[in-house]
Amino acid sequence: MPENKRWKIIIAGEGGQGVQSIGELLAEAAFRSGKQALYIPNFGVEQRGGVSVAYVQIADGAIGAPKFQKADLLAVLSKRAAERTKGYLRPGSIYLYDQSALQALAIDDRSIGIQGYETVAPEGFAQMVGAETESPLEPPAKDQVRALGIPAAQVAKGELTTRVFNIIVLGAIVRLIQDLSLPQVEAAIEQKFREKFRSNPELRALNLQALTKGLAMVPVPTA
Amino acid sequence: MGRKIANIQLSEEYEGVLRKEQRSFMTGNEVVAWAALAAKADFMYGYPITPQNEIMHYWARLAPHFGRGFLQTEDEMSAGFAMLGGALVGKKTFSATAGPGNVLMQEPISMAEMMRIPGVWIIQQRGGPSTATVIYSQQELRLTTTGGNGEGLRIVYSTASHQELFEYTIKAFNTAWQYRFPTFVLGDGYQAKMREAVTLFRPEARGWRLIPAEPILRPPGVPARDRDPVHLRNTFNIEEELYDRLVDQLAAYDRMTAEVIEWEAEVSPETELLLVAHGIVARAAKQAQENLNRQGKKVGYFRPITVRPFPGSALRQAVAANPNLRLLVVESAHGQLLALVKAELYGFTNPLDSLLRPGVGITAEEIEEAVTQHGQKEAVS
Repeated sequence: MPENKRWKIIIAGEGGQGVQSIGELLAEAAFRSGKQALYIPNFGVEQRGGVSVAYVQIADGAIGAPKFQKADLLAVLSKRAAERTKGYLRPGSIYLYDQSALQALAIDDRSIGIQGYETVAPEGFAQMVGAETESPLEPPAKDQVRALGIPAAQVAKGELTTRVFNIIVLGAIVRLIQDLSLPQVEAAIEQKFREKFRSNPELRALNLQALTKGLAMVPVPTA
Repeated sequence: MGRKIANIQLSEEYEGVLRKEQRSFMTGNEVVAWAALAAKADFMYGYPITPQNEIMHYWARLAPHFGRGFLQTEDEMSAGFAMLGGALVGKKTFSATAGPGNVLMQEPISMAEMMRIPGVWIIQQRGGPSTATVIYSQQELRLTTTGGNGEGLRIVYSTASHQELFEYTIKAFNTAWQYRFPTFVLGDGYQAKMREAVTLFRPEARGWRLIPAEPILRPPGVPARDRDPVHLRNTFNIEEELYDRLVDQLAAYDRMTAEVIEWEAEVSPETELLLVAHGIVARAAKQAQENLNRQGKKVGYFRPITVRPFPGSALRQAVAANPNLRLLVVESAHGQLLALVKAELYGFTNPLDSLLRPGVGITAEEIEEAVTQHGQKEAVS
C-alpha cells in the first residue's frame, strides 16, 4: 500500500470487456478482507459500448468522495480507454495495461444512445473481444509512470476463454495491491457468478485459473 | 387496484438477514429497499426511472417474502396519488423517483401537503433539466424542498453515505407519520449506484420505536358518536378559509422545525474558512477540510442534513462567532444550496464564494484547489 494506506484505482476499457466486474469484485474482495472500500461505475447510455470506467478506492480509514482526480493505479484495457483516462495519471502512478496485439472491439461513440440493431449486447460483446490483431497499446514514458504490460487478452484467448479476460486483469491488480486476502477474492468471484457457475461448473475452474494466471503476470514485489 | 397482500411464509434466506445486525457491501438502491423493509413499510408504488430503478427491483423481490406489496403504476403522478390512498387507509407507503419523475410527482406531493397525508419519497437526483443525464446531480434540491404550488411544507433529509441512506430512510417513515408532512430522502445517482459497506439492523433491536400507521380516512368508531367525523379538504371556497388553514399548517411546521432539524458542523473561533455542502458533496468537503487542516489551514465544515427545514440557526451561530469568517458553498448545482445559505445569512456581511458544478461530481481535490485560489468575490447580502 502507498504511505497513506489508500488506493485510488481506475479500470478503463471498452464496454463489454468486463471493466465494471473487475471494479465490483475488487471492492467486494477488499470489503471481505476487512478494508474500507468504495466502487462506483460510470454509467449511463454507454452500457452498450463506449469507454467504460470503474472507480475503486480501498483504504484502512474512511473514504470521502466517490470519485477522484488522480489514480494510484490505472488499469487500461484498450487504446481508446487509455486516451480517455490519461488525465488521471500522476507522476508515480502504476500503469497496468494489456500488451496483447489483439484489438479490443470498440463501438463508435456517435452510435451510443441510438440503441440500434448494430449495437451488440454485453454478453455477446465479450466473445468478440480480441478477434482481430492490431499493434499493441503503448504505455506513457517510463519517467512519468510505473508501467507494467501484461498479455491478458492473448492468454485469455489462447489458453482459457476470452470471457475470463477481465479476471486475469483482476488477478494482476490483486497482486499489485498486495494486502487483499486471496480466499476473499475467490469468495467475491463465487458470490458474483454463483448462478453462472451453477449452470456451467466449468466456468468456475476457468475463472480461478484466470485469477491465478493474472496473479503470476505481476512480479512479486520485493519488500 | 393492487394485489392482495397475503401472509406469505417467509423464506429462511430473507428472514435471516435482519435477524441480527449484518455488515454488508451493496449499492445504495439495495440499501434503501432493505431500509424500507426494516421500517415496516407496507407498500411501494412506483414508476421506473434511472438511477432509482433498483430500489423498485429489490423491493419487488423482497416484498412478497414479508407480506409487503408493490404496484407499478402508469406514471409518477399515479404512483404518488396511489401512495396517498394507501396512507389514508393506514398503510405505510413510499415511492422512489428522480429527475422528470420528481417533477411529475410534485402534484400528489402538493396534495399530501394540503391534506397532511404522510408518505416517504426517495429521490435519487440525476442531471437536469429534463431528461439530461441518468447519472448524477444535486439539481433537485429546490424541487424537492419547495416544489409544487404551495409553501414547501416538507421534511427533506440529504444523505451522504450508505449508512445514512439506511438510517434516514427508516427515520423518514417515523417523521412522516409523526408530523404528517411529506418526507424525503434526498440521495443522488452516485449514492444509488455506488457500492460501500453498511450495517443493516432491525430498528427495534437498537431501541428505535417505529411509529405505527393508523387509518386516517376511516379510523375505528362511529362518526359523531365515538369520534369526530374525518373531513379532509383539498378545496376551499373562499380565500380566508384557505388562509386560516395555512396559518395553522405553517404554525405546525414551525413547531416541528426545532425537533427535526439536523446538521453537522466543525467550526471554532479560529476557523477562517467554512466549507458548506450537503449530500455526497459534503463527503468531498469533509475530506478536503481534513487535508487542508493537515496543511495548517484553518478550515471548518458545515453540512445541513435536513435541507428542509434548513438548520439556519445553527449556520448563523457558526458564522456569528467570527465576523471575518469566509464561506465557500460547494454543490453539484448552479446555486440551489447557495440561495438557501444566502437567505439564512441575510444581514451578515461575511465574504461568500462558491464552487458550483451543475450536473457533475465534485472531488476533494477540486475543493482544495478552490480553497487555495479562494478570492473574496462577494459578500453574503
